[in-house]
Amino acid sequence: MTRLWHRENPSLFENEKRAVETYFPDLSFTVVGDFVHVRGTFPIRFEGQVLDNYSVDLQLARDHPKSLPVVQEVGGRIPRHADRHIISSDGTACVLLPDERWRVWPPGTPLLNFLTGPVHSFFLAQSLVERGDPWPFGQWSHGAMGLVEFYSELLGTKDIRMIARYLDYLASKEIKGHWPCPCHTGRRLRDCHMKLLLDLRSKISRKDATNSVNMIKNSGLLTT
Amino acid sequence: MSANDYLYDILASQALGDESDEVQALQKHRADVEKLLCDHFKGSSPTIRYAGSKAKCTMNRESYDLDIICYFASGDTSAGDTLQNIYESTRGALGKKYLVEQKGSALRLKSCDPQTLGVDFHIDVVPGRFTDNSKADAYLYQPAEEKQRLKTNLGVHLNHVKDSGVIDAIRLAKLWKVRNGLPIRTFVLELAVIKLLKGKTKKDISEQMEHFWTELRDNSADLTVEDPANPNGNDLSKELDHNLKSQLASAAKRTLAQIDSFGWAAVFGDAEQKEKAEKVQLLRRAASVVVTPAKPWLP
Repeated sequence: MTRLWHRENPSLFENEKRAVETYFPDLSFTVVGDFVHVRGTFPIRFEGQVLDNYSVDLQLARDHPKSLPVVQEVGGRIPRHADRHIISSDGTACVLLPDERWRVWPPGTPLLNFLTGPVHSFFLAQSLVERGDPWPFGQWSHGAMGLVEFYSELLGTKDIRMIARYLDYLASKEIKGHWPCPCHTGRRLRDCHMKLLLDLRSKISRKDATNSVNMIKNSGLLTT
Repeated sequence: MSANDYLYDILASQALGDESDEVQALQKHRADVEKLLCDHFKGSSPTIRYAGSKAKCTMNRESYDLDIICYFASGDTSAGDTLQNIYESTRGALGKKYLVEQKGSALRLKSCDPQTLGVDFHIDVVPGRFTDNSKADAYLYQPAEEKQRLKTNLGVHLNHVKDSGVIDAIRLAKLWKVRNGLPIRTFVLELAVIKLLKGKTKKDISEQMEHFWTELRDNSADLTVEDPANPNGNDLSKELDHNLKSQLASAAKRTLAQIDSFGWAAVFGDAEQKEKAEKVQLLRRAASVVVTPAKPWLP
């Protein structure tokens, strides 16, 4: 069982709490059972003005900051609908695609950066969508197709089978230079895309890659 | 309500009087900037004046900046011998109280307070040096340009706009630029409006605007503008390139079609929706400065 981060590392807890509560005076840390929650009013700030506010509840993962917090809008303002990127059953806000985390909230960076980065982007976008604007930063398609879109951009290919092969290698415990390259040129990995794969393996966790490849394989996209 | 009444309502809703909170805040910063520069360049008395939309009376609430010139006398070397020295020493003086960013010939002021770090005050300070004792023409430093010295004349620019007879059309065109996200420099847009509405100053405002958009739609490829203060030395052709002209023509075509199909409110919105429009505009601006946005997803 994962040890609880805030008990194992109280100084990290204090640092995260101080940074967040200083920057966002209307957010506060609360420990409920095994989980740390960050609750309160989240402001959309711009040039010193507060343009909008959302009532939020962030549940930090048991292994924080390794796993992503669960973000919920609890004011009932955003419809619990897939089109608004809210899971209808539990109200979880899907602020980012986990495989993209390294770009928007790299592991090891403070929770404050998660709030001022992806969470801010998400609620700012919600404010505009609510007023009839399109998603200002775009959106990934739901489910496996969104993963395919993300990896298509990342790898520069629309070949879903090739994307799945790359993901298999990202999910693998280790990769060997003599393995065939997932790009299917027939070359060995060490003579082809080894560098790219090592770079991606340093950015995308095995857990996320495993979840993604399983979702793509179970979606039926590989048979179309 | 007639089209003209509607457009004047829009202009009234965009007006920024001297008593408005926005202008009061800008004026306070202006006083701070003036004191900062005068204290720094003791023994010198640079000419510090409003320029830009504040001086031209073309300011709109939805998108405004304050331009302040800081010109040194032609023989005054207290800020440095060269234009680059003047630019850098002015930057150093302003840097005592502001986060200063280079923006062409201008220096943009932002907050350096840790609580509001980087908040944009919408103030540009333009350092320069008068060419002679008449204090009319001035030279500016252009750090990013091949030709680093640009001759200009604030008085000529101000009079060109103020005497144009089409200030209301300029303000509406500026609003149209912002609402349509058109990447045209305001200075170039002002010159284009004045040129295209030459001989139309007696027309109603709605006729002026329709003429302006019709010209952009049909003849933008041939449109050229010139700097009235330096027609030969300041080449504005690169500011109005083929790509931008195409964008202007498309936006003008869309605007004229909107007026035709849905009326003027489709272009600038209902006057009573002003507050909503302002909020959306601010939200859009906030979105436009997000450096690394996250796209939402759903498993």
